[in-house]
Formats: sequence, C-alpha cells, structure tokens
Amino acid sequence: MSPPLPDLPLLELRDLRAGYAAGPILHGVSFSLAAGRIATLLGGNGAGKSTLLRAVYGANRHYGGAVLFEGRDITALSPPRRLALGIGFVPQGRCNFAAMTVAENLLMGGYTLKRTEREAAIAAMLERFPVLARKAGEAAGNLSGGEQQVLEMAMVLITGPRLLLLDEPSLGLSPRMQAEVFATVAGLARESGVAVLMVEQNLRGALAISDTAIVLEMGRKFLEGPAAEVAVDPRIRHAYLGGNVTAADAA
Amino acid sequence: MTQERAIDPVYAAQLTLNGLLLGLLYALIVSGLALLFGVLGIINFAHGEFLMAGAYLMAFALPVLGLAYLPSLLLAMLGVALLGCLAHALFLRRLREDEFERSILMTTGLSILLLNAVQYALTATPLLVDTQFGFDGIDLGGINITWTRIAAAAAAILALLLLWLCLTRTQLGRAMRAIAQNREAAMMVGIRPEAVARNAVILATALCGLAGAALAPIQLVQPSMGQFLIFKAFALVIIGGLGSIPGAAIAAVLLGLLESWIGGFFDAVWQEVVVFVAMMLVLLLRPDGLFGAPRMRAG
Repeated sequence: MSPPLPDLPLLELRDLRAGYAAGPILHGVSFSLAAGRIATLLGGNGAGKSTLLRAVYGANRHYGGAVLFEGRDITALSPPRRLALGIGFVPQGRCNFAAMTVAENLLMGGYTLKRTEREAAIAAMLERFPVLARKAGEAAGNLSGGEQQVLEMAMVLITGPRLLLLDEPSLGLSPRMQAEVFATVAGLARESGVAVLMVEQNLRGALAISDTAIVLEMGRKFLEGPAAEVAVDPRIRHAYLGGNVTAADAA
Repeated sequence: MTQERAIDPVYAAQLTLNGLLLGLLYALIVSGLALLFGVLGIINFAHGEFLMAGAYLMAFALPVLGLAYLPSLLLAMLGVALLGCLAHALFLRRLREDEFERSILMTTGLSILLLNAVQYALTATPLLVDTQFGFDGIDLGGINITWTRIAAAAAAILALLLLWLCLTRTQLGRAMRAIAQNREAAMMVGIRPEAVARNAVILATALCGLAGAALAPIQLVQPSMGQFLIFKAFALVIIGGLGSIPGAAIAAVLLGLLESWIGGFFDAVWQEVVVFVAMMLVLLLRPDGLFGAPRMRAG
C-alpha cells in the first residue's frame, strides 16, 4: 500500500446532505482534510457539527452528496467497513462498556482485527497509555471521566485509524485532563500523520492545536480558514469564544 | 409460628434434587430470554414455542435414532436453533431497536402461529416420550433419580457453563454483552448489530430447544407446554434484573428449588404462585432486580 499523494486529501466531503429519519440536518457541506491535519468544527447548537461527524462515519441517514476517503467514494459503506478502511469515530458522551473490564473494552476495540493483530495492538495501547495497564482488571464504569476518555480513544486507536473523528473529547474533564487530551490528539497528528476532525466545547484548547477551523451554521458551511485566523475573527470571537451570545444568533 | 415438624431427610433431598433439575431447565429458558432482551431489546413471547418445538423434535428424533438420548438432544437443539435463525431472518431482523411494542406484537403473533401450526399438524394429544434409559434410575439411599433427569441436569449444567464461557471468553459473546451495554460504543468499535443479533437469537433458541428436548422424556409433550412456562420465565427475567443473564439464571434455579419444596411440603396450588409473588415483591422493593445494578441494565 502506498501512502496517499501529498496533495490528495485524505477526506473530502462533496455537497454532503445528511441527517436523521425526520429529515436532513446538513444541507450541502463541502470541504477536505489532508493527512496529519487537525480541523475543528464550530457552530451553535443544532448547526450540524455532530451530524457531520456521524455522516463521515456512516452512522446516520444519507440524503445526498458524497464522502470520499483517499479519493474513494465511501458514501454507501457501513460504519464497520469505514472503520476497516481507517476511519475512527469517538462519539460524544460515555462510549465504553461500563460493566466490562478495561482489558475487555480493549478487546472489543480490536473487534474488527484478526486475533494476532488485536493482541499486538492492545499491547501497544497499554504501553502508550500506562493508566490503562494499571487498571486493566477494573470495570470501565469505575474509572474517572478522564481515564474513560483515554480508554475510549485507545479503543478506537487500536484499529490504527488514519482519520479520527472526535465529538467533544474534553467534555466533563478537568482542565489538566483536557490539556492532556489535546496533547494526545496533537501528537497523533504530528507524529503518526493521523487526520483529526473534531467538535469541541473548549474552543481555545481545540483551535490552539488545529490547522483549520470550519464554521457551520444551520447545516451549511459558513466559514473555513486557518485556525489561527478564525480564532481572532471578530465574528467568531463574538459568537463562540465568549462574546455576546445573543449576537451570535444574528450572525 | 408453625410447629416444628420432623422432616424426612430422604424426602427433603428428593424434593431438592427435583427442584434443582427444574431450576436448571428454567435457567436455560430464561438466560436465552435475558440475552434476547439485552441484545435485541425485545421480549420474545414466542420463546415458549421454541421450547415446545424442542420437545417435539426430541419426541420425533428419538425413535428414528434408536432412542439414543444424546444424538436426539443435539438434533433437537440444532433444529430449534435453525427455527430461531429463520424467525430472525423473517421477522425479528425487521424490528428496529426503538420498536419495543412492535416486538411484543410480532413475537406474540409468532407464538400463536407456531402453537396452532403444531396443534393442527400433530393434534393436542399429549405424547409420552421414551428414551434409551426408559424409567431406570439410580437409588441413592432411598432417593430415586431417573437417568433422564440426571442426563437433563448434566446437559443443562454443561450448556450454562458453555454459555458463560462464550459470553466472557469469546469475541462473539463479548460482542453480545457489548451491544447490550452500549449500542453507541458497539458502533464505535465496528460491531455489526444485525450479525450479533442473529447470533444471539441462534444461541437463545438453541438453549431453549435444549430445555424443551431435555424436558420431553420427563413430562408430557403437548403444543401448549411452552405457554405454561413463558410468563413464569418473564417473571424470572424481571426478578434477576432485566437483561442480566447470571441474575436470571440464578433466580431460575432458586425458583425451581422453592417450587419443589413448596409443592412437597405445602399445597401444590402455591407452587405456581410463588414466582409471581416474588416478582411483585422485587418490583416494589428492588425495581432493578435482585442482581441487576442500574448501570448493568441492558437495552
């Protein structure tokens, strides 16, 4: 397998329309993301950020447009097929098997792998996140919020994804744990060349490690630009980085 | 308080062994029900008919296979698992996870269909099933146990042990527990819900078929035999903690013992009531069941 050409985007959305049984939430979104790049999705409640992540993973209803991964149209593929291609998705909220041990959760993380691959990948995860090795025999539900977030990320990283979709990875974590999560994400992109597309409530933390920021409004792309520029854009500062919230609705 | 009476130890031991066997067979039935509830989020009202199908398959397989117990048992189990696979492909697969009410109607329909189809084809006349063991048994100091009961108990213990190993030691079984615990996380790790649901249906119906087949030489085989048990089985699933398989199985064994003791020492009328009284008490005092902590609740 040859690595993708540098100028070929890893992920490309073309006029993507997606949503749920009740109807579409995204009304035609296009952008692309290259390997090793981090993009943060911004937007108010109901703008379609989580819907977009789910659509890239194939976890909701498709209404039109296309999702391309390494130039290949994957729009019709199911989530397990997309995971096998190298797309990992960590949904919002607690996403582990609370009554299973940490070790069992990691075994489930490697569900799509062959036995030998799985065992090697789990060993690598335990080395990378020593806290999981220390708590391997404990029920996942007994771990702290930060530890559970690390576990969930490890469960997805086991498959060796090249695109990671993260929905609110720092939600409910202490500031110190948030910083650790952001450092881990940044490390994945810089060192392993993983592309990351994330939704975050801690925008300062997220934009600080992001290359690109994409602003969604009402299911459409409102703005896309380098994270550093978007972070200082007066409209964005006003709307999402602690300005007057009522003004955001007018934007 | 009642007057202390001298209880014949042989009689008490006999009741205990009978109760244990009954409880083990209940455990086969309810662990499958709990599994289906956890993985598919449905209550299978047709579960009793899978039991009945297992009993009839046993009744027909035995004469063909020269009354050989074990091959007939395995054949009946396999046949019911196939029936379960068919029911999944035709009906259960079409239920979405948020369609609990539809699942009740669908499985009730399936139950009535199977019951009447068997009644039409085979009449309601009860069958007496003979095996290689006949009515022989062993005598343990006055306690008499027939070989069919010993074989049934051994098969049930083995099957429950294999079920436990499957659920805790294999990826196939872990995936079932995973889906029952957190569907979103199951999607995250790439588990295909439909494939896991099919496996759960096959496993649950095979266990139920085994219970029916093991029951066939012990009691009369008739089309309505599953109807008798199904509400008792639901009560046990609730007592054990919805979706908790060990909880349901333990509750089942306890019920078997309790029923046998009550039937032996008191009036047999109360035998059929005890499980529902227990269910009502559990619903009032421990709504999550005896063994189901809220966070372990499936569905």
